[in-house]
This record gives sequence, structure tokens and C-alpha cells, in this order.
Amino acid sequence: MKNFLIRLVWRIFSGILMVLVIASLTFFLIRLMPGDPVSAQYNQLIMQGMTPVQAENQVKVMYGFIPDEPVGEQFVNYIWGLLHFDFGQSISYEGIGVSHIILNAAPWTLILVFTGLIASFLVGVLAGVISAIKRSSPTGTILTVSGSLLHGVPQFVMGLLLAYLFTTLWPILPFGAPYDSSINPGFNGPFISSLISHAVLPVVTYALSSYGGWLLTMKSSVITVLGDDFILASEIRGLKSSTIIGYIARNAILPLFTLFTLSIGFMFGGSVFIENIFDYPGLGNLLLKSIDTRDYPLMSGAFLLITIAVIAANIITDFLYTFVDPRIRR
Amino acid sequence: MTTPGTAKSVHTFTPKSYNGASFWKAAWRSITRKTSRIIGFAIIVLFTLMAIFGPYLYSSHLPINTNAIYAPISWKYPLGTDFEGTSNLALIITGARYVLLAAALGALFTVIFGTVLGLIAGYFVGWSDSIIMRITDFFLTIPSFPLLVVLSTVWNFGHPLAMGFILGITSWGGMARAVRSQTLSLRERGFVEAARGLGLSPFHILFREILPNVSSYIGMNLLTSITGCIYAEVGLFFLGVVPFHVNNWGVMLNMAVFSAGAMSSPDALPYLLSPLLALLLLTLGIVLFLDAVDEMFNPRLREDV
Repeated sequence: MKNFLIRLVWRIFSGILMVLVIASLTFFLIRLMPGDPVSAQYNQLIMQGMTPVQAENQVKVMYGFIPDEPVGEQFVNYIWGLLHFDFGQSISYEGIGVSHIILNAAPWTLILVFTGLIASFLVGVLAGVISAIKRSSPTGTILTVSGSLLHGVPQFVMGLLLAYLFTTLWPILPFGAPYDSSINPGFNGPFISSLISHAVLPVVTYALSSYGGWLLTMKSSVITVLGDDFILASEIRGLKSSTIIGYIARNAILPLFTLFTLSIGFMFGGSVFIENIFDYPGLGNLLLKSIDTRDYPLMSGAFLLITIAVIAANIITDFLYTFVDPRIRR
Repeated sequence: MTTPGTAKSVHTFTPKSYNGASFWKAAWRSITRKTSRIIGFAIIVLFTLMAIFGPYLYSSHLPINTNAIYAPISWKYPLGTDFEGTSNLALIITGARYVLLAAALGALFTVIFGTVLGLIAGYFVGWSDSIIMRITDFFLTIPSFPLLVVLSTVWNFGHPLAMGFILGITSWGGMARAVRSQTLSLRERGFVEAARGLGLSPFHILFREILPNVSSYIGMNLLTSITGCIYAEVGLFFLGVVPFHVNNWGVMLNMAVFSAGAMSSPDALPYLLSPLLALLLLTLGIVLFLDAVDEMFNPRLREDV
């Protein structure tokens, strides 16, 4: 137990260190940028008739550091702000804190990707078990081929094809926007149904493009377990095949469990293409828009959140695994 | 297994070294063994030729025909035309060079960084291993596509080499980790210990003794990372975060979806579908060919017929 706690503290410490390294990376990236956006912003504010002191304060609020200060001092101020969850202020959404904008965008991404992730995981794992057990029959071959093909198609190609098929060729689903703008947002029937019908295509795109990966991993994992001695032993004992499949599934799912929890971390940044194609107001779209409008505080904030999620998921996965797989605990 | 074939190969297996010619002969044999592999190989050759000679087939400014904007598919325009009346086929052919060259360079950088760092980490265990693996973990953790998007603000992706370098930098982590774990097990094997006992230099042991044993893994990875790189770079151009310097498939996709409105106007559809078709065809080719590469580099899989 003591070892466990030491390991936990160490992992969290190195995770925080990693976040700080990435924060400094984006910090220096903005400083390296051609035209130095920070001074440009400062000069623009002066041009708008602000006094140098006002302009300096404004820039400080936006970026979390002052342009005239030495870089070292700016850096310390920026990191100090981050440690207090102060990501600075957005430029394109004037006067609104970056963390506020990001927290508004995150649920869109999370709902979209989480639904897709769960759907693809369940279907993919089931198909993987079937394709492994029936690997010499046509069913198994068809499943495996479907997995490799869908795994090979890039997400944006899948999204564009689905969007074309179901919004233009056979227009049964709406295209673009997270909900119908003519409907009042609120907890009412029409709004929720419009929300769902707009989410179908993005979710299906995500699910289809990750289905292949789950299928192929589960298949190879099941095939490895099938060669284990205990499977042979249970066959010799004459156990029911449903019981044996239960044993196989329990052992084969372990490596996928790790992948699944890791995918939860990658959720935040995993739908850039889908959000872009279907014009969904999530984090990926926010990242792209912030680059488009040269809103660098927003950009670094969004990127930081995407990375922090992955780092946190890594740490959590590491520790959950010890609970899921008793063999690791020794 | 005493088939005539193996008997013959055993007979000719005198100290003769495994020279270049016999490797290519074996490679050719593993390609021609299955129809699917031949198809895959043909598709890859077709695209490679397109990338090498494509830009020479057309003048540097593709002809514009204002009478044939969004022309339907015809003999003159086998894939239709774009918003200026330029043939889509010409756009695909001339655009292949940037896409394929950047992808090939990206895969090459991935493999070089991954292999060298993995070999060093796995062979010289100790502090160099822990430092390299910390850095690898760091690169594996950062979500690579958002990182590429962020880097596009400072990095000039105009040249394929610049694109390839960044693609390589963001994707070598998995490769390094896999090569390290293979090296860790290989370094305990007899032949490596023998080489160490003979006093051969670490450089020789790493690159002449251990490297050939991980080459099958490297060969497979080279091909899969080419597809990964193609998706990433075409994706970057599609999203429009990278300035459009040259014509390529991603630029076509971006223009088709966001400027030409190909989603709602059926006229512009060939403009959207032609880069998608090129991407899918190339993916299919690589997937079919992968199987042959596995066999080429992995002698254990080579069934002598």
C-alpha cells in the first residue's frame, strides 16, 4: 500500500511536470511566431487610443504576461497564472476568459465522442470475439475484412462520404450545426430530437472509424488467449462452450481495457475533423477557429486542456489496471 | 518438410552471402505469390510514377477553361473539372508529388528516429535508456494531430521536406518503444553475446547484428507510417490551417467542401470525389501490399514453393 501511494504521488508529480513543459512549449511558440502577436496586440491597443499603461494592463490580462518585461519574467507570470487555473483572456471573444470558452465547448466534444466510443467499443469487441472464434468460416473473414477496411479509411474521408450519402444523395439527416437554429434551445421535445438527429452523423462517423481498431485488437487478443493451456483444460473437462467463451472474453478484454481508458483521454482532441465537417461547436473546432482568428491565448488554452486530459487518462489507466488485473498486483 | 523446393534451396545454401540480387528475387517472388499483392503493388507503382513524372506531363499552370466549369465526366475530362474548368485528373496527377514525397519523407524520419533511439535505449540500458524513454513517453502522450495543428502556426509547411520532418517528429514514439523492447530481448541472445565477446564495437553490434533482426518490423512500419503521414498531411490541408502553397489533394478537398459547396451542389461532386478516390485507392494498394512486405522481411513467414 505504501509503495502504491509513493508511485501515485510520483506519477502525479511527473504528470504536472509534463503539463508545465507543454505550457512552456506553447508559450515560446507564441513568442517565436512571425510578427510577435503580443507586441502587435499592444501596438494595436495604443493605436485605438489607449494609454501605454492601459494597453499594457489589457495585454497582460489577455496573455497573462506583459510584452515589455523580460521573457523570463513573462514566463514566470504565465506559469504562475496557469497554476491558478488562469488561462488568460480570449482575443476574438472580447473580454471573456479562455477557461470559460473552453468549458463551454468541452461538453459538445465529450458527448459526441463518448457516445461514438461506447458504441464502437461494444460492437467492435463483440465482432472481434466472433471473428476470432469463427476465423476459418466466411463470417469471420467478412468481419475481419470489414474491420481492416474501416480501420484504413481516414476519419475525414469517412465523414465526407457519410455526409454526402445521408444529407445530399438520400437526405434523411440534417447537415452542419449542432441543432436547428429555428428551435428555441431548452428542455423540450423538438429541441432534443433536433439535437439527436444532428448528432447522428458525427457520432456514426466516429464510431465507424474506430470500430475497425477495436475489432482487430480484440481478435488478436482472443486468438492469443485461445492458445492458453487453461482453455484446453476446460475443453477437456467438457465445460459448456458458453462458459469457455466467458473465460476467453474475460482474459482477452484486459489489454482492451487499457486502450479504452486511454481513448477516454484522447477524446478531447480526437474529433477535430468530425467537428470541422459537421460544424460542431466542440474543442477541435475551437482550436481551429482560434488559429484562424489568431486568437493565441485561446489556442494554447484549448491545446493545454486536450493534453492534460491525455496525461490524466494515462495516470488513471496505469492505476486502474492494477485493480482490474490481479496478476499485476504483487 | 522435404519438398523439392526446400531440398534445392538447402543444396545451394553454401556460405554464399545473402546478397542484394537474391533479396530482390525473393521479394519479387513474395509479391507475385498472390493476386491481391500484385494489385497492391501495381497501385503503388502507379502512384509513384504519378508523383515522379506527373508534374512534367502538364504545364506549370494548368489550363483554365471558363466554358467547362464543373463539367461532367467525359472523355476530355475523365474526372470532371473544378471551379475554374481545370481537369480534376490533372489536379490529382500533379498533386500527387507533394503528398507522396512528404509522406515518404515523414515515414523515413519516423523510422530513422524511432529505430536509432529504440536501439540505443534497448542496448545501452541504464541512464541513456531512462532519458530516451522519458522523452518517448512525452511524445507519445501529446496528442499528435492537435500538436500538428498548433505547430502549423509557426512552421512553414511549403516544402515536402519541412512537412515530412514535422510528421516524423510527432510520430516516432511508438516505433522507438517497440524497437527498444525487441532490442532488450535480442541483446541477451547468444549471437549478440558472442559479438560482444569478440570485442566488436557497439556500433557494429547495433547496426550489423541487431538491426537486421528488427528489419521486418521496420519494413512493416515504414509502410503503415506512410499511410498515417498521408492522412495527417492531407487532413491538415483539408482543415485549411496550413497555407496553400502548392496544389495537392488536401487543398482540393478543402476547396471542394468549403468553397465550392460540393456537399449541396451535385455539379461540384466530381471535384470532391476525385481526391477521395485517390486516397482510398492508395490506401487499398498499401493495405494489399503490406502482406507481401511482411513476408519479404520476415524469413520465418517465407514459404518456399
